[in-house]
Amino acid sequence: MNPDQLTGARLTQGASLKARFKMLIRLHKLEAKRGIQDIFDNPLSNFMTVLVIAIALALPTGLQIMLDNGKQLSQSWDGASRISLFLTLETSKKQTIDLSNKIRQNLAIKNVEVILPDQALKDFSQQSGFVDAIGELDQNPLPPTLVVQPVEAYSTPFESGKLLAIYAKLPQVEKAQLDLDWVRKLYALIQLAEKAAAALGLALGLAVLLIIGNTIRLSVQNRRDEIEIVKLIGATNAFIRRPFLYTGFWYGLFAGISCWLLVEISLFWLQQPIANLAGLYQSDFTLSGLSWSQSIQLISISCGLGLLGSWLSVGRHIRAIEPR
Amino acid sequence: MIEFAHVSKRYPNGQIALRNIDLQIGAGEMAFLTGHSGAGKSTMLKLISLMERPTAGQVIINGKNLNRIKPRKIPAIRRDIGMIFQDHRLLFDRSVFDNVALPLMIAGYDHREIGRRVRAALDKVGLLSKEKSTPIMLSGGEQQRVGIARAVVNKPPLLLADEPTGNLDPELSAEIMRLFEQFNQVGVSLLIASHDLSLLAKMHYRTLVMKDGQLIQDRSDTPQGLDLPPAQLLGADNES
Ligand SMILES: Nc1ncnc2c1ncn2[C@@H]1O[C@H](COP(=O)(O)OP(=O)(O)OP(=O)(O)O)[C@@H](O)[C@H]1O
Ligand SMILES: [Mg+2]
Repeated sequence: MNPDQLTGARLTQGASLKARFKMLIRLHKLEAKRGIQDIFDNPLSNFMTVLVIAIALALPTGLQIMLDNGKQLSQSWDGASRISLFLTLETSKKQTIDLSNKIRQNLAIKNVEVILPDQALKDFSQQSGFVDAIGELDQNPLPPTLVVQPVEAYSTPFESGKLLAIYAKLPQVEKAQLDLDWVRKLYALIQLAEKAAAALGLALGLAVLLIIGNTIRLSVQNRRDEIEIVKLIGATNAFIRRPFLYTGFWYGLFAGISCWLLVEISLFWLQQPIANLAGLYQSDFTLSGLSWSQSIQLISISCGLGLLGSWLSVGRHIRAIEPR
Repeated sequence: MIEFAHVSKRYPNGQIALRNIDLQIGAGEMAFLTGHSGAGKSTMLKLISLMERPTAGQVIINGKNLNRIKPRKIPAIRRDIGMIFQDHRLLFDRSVFDNVALPLMIAGYDHREIGRRVRAALDKVGLLSKEKSTPIMLSGGEQQRVGIARAVVNKPPLLLADEPTGNLDPELSAEIMRLFEQFNQVGVSLLIASHDLSLLAKMHYRTLVMKDGQLIQDRSDTPQGLDLPPAQLLGADNES
């Protein structure tokens, strides 16, 4: 051995900046491995932890998917947004048709259907079965009606609402009514559900932080002796913290992937019943799942939560350990 | 290198471990700390390594007053001190190599440099062939030598050892002392707490004798010249 190797007591040892940087990268690799090792050392209980986190993440994710689909559905039904204009009883057939032509010229309007009182009465008596009762009426009580269908761009609740207001002011119009109030209701419902989903996501995100924080706390306590020893040797808190941060990150990653699998499997499982249901409504609607970017988003959020959870917990618990 | 000025230490439970200690150990010096069990030897070392803080007085290491060291700076101070423990304090889930490499990894050395230095240190303590073993597979004496290799691998200017030969046979103890002498010859300061008087008798180094938290003797000559007979010096209870 080179006798020089151990000579020279030196103060303030350390390496060059470049060596330190290279070492840091190496250390990170080592600690990333050690972080994973930490999880696989105790596979069953850690698998449970991952699963709990995955489920906690799957709930808001699932809700978000439902919302996205609901929005899509409501948009595809906007085409059916219609305005019914009930004209005054005195309006003649010619006036009715003139008005319908006038409205049809508006570029916002796709189609105007004219329902004359006679026709309306006939339809009504056929559909309701009150043929006799209606036959005894000496005057047709039904007004002429125009059913106005806006083009798609004017079918949103807001735009069709504006059209409605315009038509309501026409002198011949007794009453204007937006057929699809329910579109508006659906929108409101979706907005409410979005708020609920955000709140749920926040609450469950917090729960995930707590779960990971607690898991890391236990892992720090399990390594108490080791931490004391490396502190005695002069390790900084940052050095000791790193493998635990990696453990948190791995938890996040595994949980994120598990969550993605859970969601995809559930969607696959729902696909058939939903297609059946849509078939009953003469719709070819299919459930759309997570897009690639959403999947990546999900897993990144999960990793971020894992990192954050361990970061919030590890510093405090490492500081509390002092060598004896 | 080490300076104690009017240092007293009282533990939170009221136990007074050190009473008004004044002491100076120069750079490159090797000194033994002895005394009966409970005399305060370990407490002295713990004050130097910042595991405990004095209740009064000042400890100055390498010209740094430890009272003024903020918690954030403690690791840097400890990196300049090699510590050897009676119970070795090795990491049992890592190889001998990894244990010895730890101080270098903390200091941020290049891995080739780490390999070189770790092997040099293991060679020095005669354990080069065991680098891949884990500490469990080693005997007590071998574990102690791993601990020593870890303490010196970073070339600290100061080595502290608390009962380094505590449960080793005389031959191994002498071997470890020879290692310490070699480190001392290359300029390392050493402070070794031990109540192994027969061992001290063979060494010709400065010996500090403690009793009930006080420094009662500071002899630069051989321990044969100690004023008190060993039995009285160490007290009847010699168990630790
Ligand atoms: N953490 C502690 N809390 C309270 N009292 C302590 C603590 N550590 C040590 N003491 C007390 O301080 C006194 C000095 O202890 P110290 O460990 O320094 O003795 P020592 O000389 O190293 O003894 P030994 O040879 O048995 O190791 C003892 O009376 C001991 O009981
Ligand atoms: Mg002791």
